[in-house]
Amino acid sequence: MHIAEGFLPPAHAIGWTIAAAPFVVHGARAVAKEVRENPESTLLLGAAGAFTFVLSAIKLPSITGSSSHPTGTGLGAVLFRPPVMALLGTVVLLFQALLLAHGGLTTLGANAFSMAVIGPWAGYAAYRLVRRSGGGLLPGVFAAMAVADLATYVTTALQLAWAHPDAASGFGGAAAKFLSVFAFTQVPLAIGEGLLGVLLFRVLVVNARPELERLGVLRRTPEPDQAPVPEATPGAER
Amino acid sequence: MTGLAIDDAAWASAWRLRSPADKLLLSGGLVLAALVLPAWPGSVLVGLAAVVLALGPARVPARTFGRAVRVPLAFILIGALTAVVQVGDGGLGWAPDAATQAGGLVAHAVAGSAAVLLLATTTPMSDLLPALHRLRVPDAVVEVASVTYRMLFVLLTSLSTIREAQAARMGHAGIRNSYRSSGMLAAAVLTRSWDRARRLSDGLAGRGMETGLRVLPEVLPSSPRFVASTLAGLAALVTVSALA
Repeated sequence: MHIAEGFLPPAHAIGWTIAAAPFVVHGARAVAKEVRENPESTLLLGAAGAFTFVLSAIKLPSITGSSSHPTGTGLGAVLFRPPVMALLGTVVLLFQALLLAHGGLTTLGANAFSMAVIGPWAGYAAYRLVRRSGGGLLPGVFAAMAVADLATYVTTALQLAWAHPDAASGFGGAAAKFLSVFAFTQVPLAIGEGLLGVLLFRVLVVNARPELERLGVLRRTPEPDQAPVPEATPGAER
Repeated sequence: MTGLAIDDAAWASAWRLRSPADKLLLSGGLVLAALVLPAWPGSVLVGLAAVVLALGPARVPARTFGRAVRVPLAFILIGALTAVVQVGDGGLGWAPDAATQAGGLVAHAVAGSAAVLLLATTTPMSDLLPALHRLRVPDAVVEVASVTYRMLFVLLTSLSTIREAQAARMGHAGIRNSYRSSGMLAAAVLTRSWDRARRLSDGLAGRGMETGLRVLPEVLPSSPRFVASTLAGLAALVTVSALA
């Protein structure tokens, strides 16, 4: 859920940009450091950004009839950590504004705050919490993706309520209105995206184990050649 | 054809060879005007100006522009309606000046979206990214963003090819199958993106390009006439809004 261009008054647009800036700058520093140490990671990070963008082109069937697309912020937070996602998420939001007409330029700060900062951090916190309390990878991924989506949706609804308070009941009434209106699409989306994450990781654990180990999502398994092997007999290599 | 209508329009636009800085000045000015000026007549004039410039001199196909403007419309309409519904003691009702307030919100948002689209449909992303250098964004970040832009079309093609193959095998028949296929689709595209990045990186390293993708920037000179007309037009917009 992206706030459209022109939907926030100027003071709010500036305020949210200032609020998101430290996180995005921190992410930019993390990326610059990573690229300085491992120049080849430019391409991997670029690929991660492109994947996050492309993920929004996957349509998820929803039980309520509306089809919605995943945001990928929880997935990105698990794979690449929230600071990197703050930057990649903002880049993806800029691309979505300019290539898909989703979101806007003056609302980029507000959208980055909800989708590239709050979403990934909340999702990552949920993931760590599940893993710490003994949950497996898949429950952790479900929690990360669903919580990231819910946190983004709640933040966006509160941003809208603050910008457009209710004439009679003020911020509280407006928050209730925006939360309930967007719940129709956003709550099924959060559950759907959590399920998608589980299905995605089930495939990744089988097909992309080395990458998940390199990213620190899975613990490294001992190399097969470190295990004691019986002495090879001549002629056995064929 | 790249698969993204707005990007296609940007490459084919008559303003493609204009300086990105000139177009940023025009669209940025219009976006700010849509936000700051009163909805009537300010936002309405901004919206009109953006549409006329895009469809006229910039020769953006009306179909593409119209479709793109429609994208944020659902959010704008639902958002504006929600904002003007009042929650009082007696249940739900309309806020005192509901029509004016909703009209104003829609006008600001549609005009702003049209102004952003004017930039988006005339300037490819690869022309805009070098501008980030001037805003003192670190080189590493601009490079990551450039790779993102260049790679997303390859991934979009993979995505639609795999999805088509899945659909042909009844992979999207029913919600259960559809979810399983979507999970596999996302996994396939993710592993492909890693594989492609690794192969690109190996290829570049083999050619001695280890510090990034250096390409010669295209020189698109600024036009003093365009800048002068932009400033005059924006000044006229502000004056008309102030007088009204």
